[in-house]
Amino acid sequence: MEEKKAKKQEIIETEIQMGTVHPAALEPYRVRFFVEDEIIKDAEITIGVNHRGIERIMEGLPVEKANMLTEKICGICSNAHTWNSVRTAEIGLGVEVPDRAVYIRVIVEELERLQSHLLYLGHGCETLAHETFSMRAFYIRETIMDLLGMIGGNRVQYGCSIIGGVRPRCELDDNRIRKILDGMGLVEKNVAEFADRFVHDSIVLSRITGTGYIPQEQALKLAITGPTLRATGVKRDLRTDMYEYDNFDFDIITQDTGDVKAQLLMRVFEIFESIKIVRQAIRDLPEGKITDRSWEMIDTGLIESYIEIPRGTLYHSYAIEDGRVRHSIVRTPSMTNIGAMQYACIDNHITDGQLCIVQCDPCFTCSDRAIEVYDTKNNKLDKSILQSNIH
Amino acid sequence: MSLKTHARSKAIHIMLVYTGGCNGCDIEIVNAVLSPKFDMEQYGVFLTWNPREADILVVTGPVTHDNKEPLIDIYNAIPNPKLVVAAGACAVMGGVYKNCYGDIPSEEIEGPVENVIPVDAKVPGCAVRPQDVLAGVVAALPHLLNAD
Repeated sequence: MEEKKAKKQEIIETEIQMGTVHPAALEPYRVRFFVEDEIIKDAEITIGVNHRGIERIMEGLPVEKANMLTEKICGICSNAHTWNSVRTAEIGLGVEVPDRAVYIRVIVEELERLQSHLLYLGHGCETLAHETFSMRAFYIRETIMDLLGMIGGNRVQYGCSIIGGVRPRCELDDNRIRKILDGMGLVEKNVAEFADRFVHDSIVLSRITGTGYIPQEQALKLAITGPTLRATGVKRDLRTDMYEYDNFDFDIITQDTGDVKAQLLMRVFEIFESIKIVRQAIRDLPEGKITDRSWEMIDTGLIESYIEIPRGTLYHSYAIEDGRVRHSIVRTPSMTNIGAMQYACIDNHITDGQLCIVQCDPCFTCSDRAIEVYDTKNNKLDKSILQSNIH
Repeated sequence: MSLKTHARSKAIHIMLVYTGGCNGCDIEIVNAVLSPKFDMEQYGVFLTWNPREADILVVTGPVTHDNKEPLIDIYNAIPNPKLVVAAGACAVMGGVYKNCYGDIPSEEIEGPVENVIPVDAKVPGCAVRPQDVLAGVVAALPHLLNAD
């Protein structure tokens, strides 16, 4: 009888691909994991199935209409897009925004940051397969959604800015202010309890500590923005440069470790900072009108505006001609964070792959823009820059 | 009421497909089914991500060109009887993206959903409200329960 021989053991490299429609990923995108013995050696994220050409629709529309349209770029940070688009026009036309309107804009934006971060916590915990935490985060988020619905009139697309101020619908009277303050108290208490429970759960901590590590050096090289960057220890927040936030006192939260734990705690601490800003804004809310209608439409050159939104830095740019938008460009923070998502997956177990992507707070719907990456050294179009920075 | 209908009425499974909207409707629908405030699960409506165990397909978004084939594949994978609910302005009538290239014929947007797969119920709104999603699903239910 012939002797049986075991096959020579060797590491087998496989490719696991998900998408574009997949249970673990809410949004349509495709990810390829290159796996060696259950350890991810490389990851590749492809987007593009969502491209709807918002910039093209904006082209040639009256500025006011185009501003309203930018709201439809993203369903999570919808107000931020309207705000930045309006801000772009205001910079170009030289519109003075009344103080009260600036404060209301800040309040709505901070409420948006609260709901976005709570959504992140909910989504993150769901990806961790901890449904109880996830449900808890979603439950806390409902308080904010009610407040946003009350101010803006809609639970999701509630953009409050118009050129020269805010919509009359978004005026804050005493009753609304009381409701916002009550809501802030409730959210602060609930999030504190949530965080306390979260950091004392040794099972969860063992899963998230050290997972999806992004070193600071690499984070800067990939030019990632927002809380994802701050979680690696870089103290960079565009809110410090924006004139809207001049009168507010808040800390820029940073974490050192750059792993999933840092990312999650980062959002928890930012929630408290946002609550602080909302309270200050309500305490110092100036009297006066909320819309300045004394501006005139003029032709302008290319105008640019950067603001800090829940996921990072948002960029809008267009020129105005005959009151219409020309050459609109939008760059969303998730676009730059895709590099971080790919990098974070490397050297992690395949079960943590999705977690590593979710930790960077992806929003692939808003990142589906037509982009060109230029190699500034050689001044030529280079599609491989995003990929080559990783290696 | 047949035994099959009785059993089915206790566990309606929704599958959510997302075809290029803005994420707003999407989160609201997940919110409607899962979150403790609206909690559709208390009425025996569950969210699934497997087309083979789904009864109702909820479609959001204007169906971009790249999403058309996956959507048809998913529709075909769902066993009969099945229902399709188009949720949100984009899915119902194309929304703001319908004429995304103005007068130039566009190949980018295939929607509204009706153009791609048959639709049984339409839920309007931008974004849909969780209560409306529930109402839309409930309105479509008799078709499903009287199917056999």
